[in-house]
Amino acid sequence: MTRGPLFHEQTARQRIAALVDPGSFDELLPPPDRITSPYLGQLGIPVSFDDGVVIGRAKIGGKKIYLAAQVGQFVGGAVGEIHGAKLTGLFKAAARDRLPCVVVIESGGVRLHEGSAGEIAIAETMRAIFECRARKVPTIAVIGTDIGAYGGMGILSTCCDFRVMSEHGRLGISGPIVIEKWMGKKAYDSSNRALVWKTSGGKTKYLLGDADALVHDTADAVRDAIAKLLGKSSAVTLKSVKTRQKELARRLKRFGETADPDAVWKGMGVRDIARASLASGPEFAAIARRGK
Amino acid sequence: MEKFAKAFPSSPLQAKTAKPWALAGVVGSGNLEVLLEVGGRPSDRMECHVETSIPGYKASWLAALADFAHNYPAGGTKVTINDQGAPPVLVNLRLRQAYDHLIKSNK
Repeated sequence: MTRGPLFHEQTARQRIAALVDPGSFDELLPPPDRITSPYLGQLGIPVSFDDGVVIGRAKIGGKKIYLAAQVGQFVGGAVGEIHGAKLTGLFKAAARDRLPCVVVIESGGVRLHEGSAGEIAIAETMRAIFECRARKVPTIAVIGTDIGAYGGMGILSTCCDFRVMSEHGRLGISGPIVIEKWMGKKAYDSSNRALVWKTSGGKTKYLLGDADALVHDTADAVRDAIAKLLGKSSAVTLKSVKTRQKELARRLKRFGETADPDAVWKGMGVRDIARASLASGPEFAAIARRGK
Repeated sequence: MEKFAKAFPSSPLQAKTAKPWALAGVVGSGNLEVLLEVGGRPSDRMECHVETSIPGYKASWLAALADFAHNYPAGGTKVTINDQGAPPVLVNLRLRQAYDHLIKSNK
């Protein structure tokens, strides 16, 4: 079915090279600039030349975009002061130049070693995303790795116009281990991978409408999904926010009490749970659609 | 954390590179990143800067770097390393990958 490297196994730089038109990536603040974290060294943790995020200009299908990819292996892709400032600047540049902005997310949220600076950086990036949306500049989040998008980055991804996910991707606010610590292992067993992916994984997020595209685990599939969304944007209006609020209230009423993720799948129209569990990307989307 | 720098004798870089730098690896547990840049001086030395989270292995580092400088024409380059506990064999692999990217300049 799929050949070549899997998207979730690639590094941030490999993902960028595989997503954009060959040779079109122009990195901003590249490694030789050595813009690194001012905090990690003091704590005895090695720094990285790009502070865990690669940003720049690129083209997809000939269209100019701004693009960022987080490096999950470096402190869990967590957002520190420099990392966050790079994201903020990128979305601001996108708003200024009216070019779509794509962020490939692989992050647990704020870097705890740089607490307040990281929190503020994420808030500033969200503001920059809303600047883009006010100017009808498309913003797209790609979530296609096991690290997923959690904490501040989970919230940030939902501020974007669209989310492209693969079944490997996970989206949430508190991570599974955090939920288990607070609610107890009986309420949520974070070592139960099936449970974790059925509550926060790409397939479930697609069913619930939190993800706009569910794709195969390859850069080609991700690129095709991005290319389809580049010309679109959705405005943030009082009406759209209220509609969304109603949807969420309905979802809470429907599924708020259930402890069985399969009930959510069934409720969202999946008839054959076993078949849907094995289906991937577009095939899953097709099964889900037929169920409705 | 331990930090040190040293230049090693190495024959001058032969090929002309399209890009002035190359990066290999990421800073993660048991891994490291190697930044290789051209334009270092003098042209018969490979200049190395290492920052590692695991102190006490300077002798191994110097041996691994000297070995690479001896085996590859890397004179006139500057190597900067951020390390999070990579084993020597991985250090050698990343150096070779960075060198490969620099020479081929396709990544």
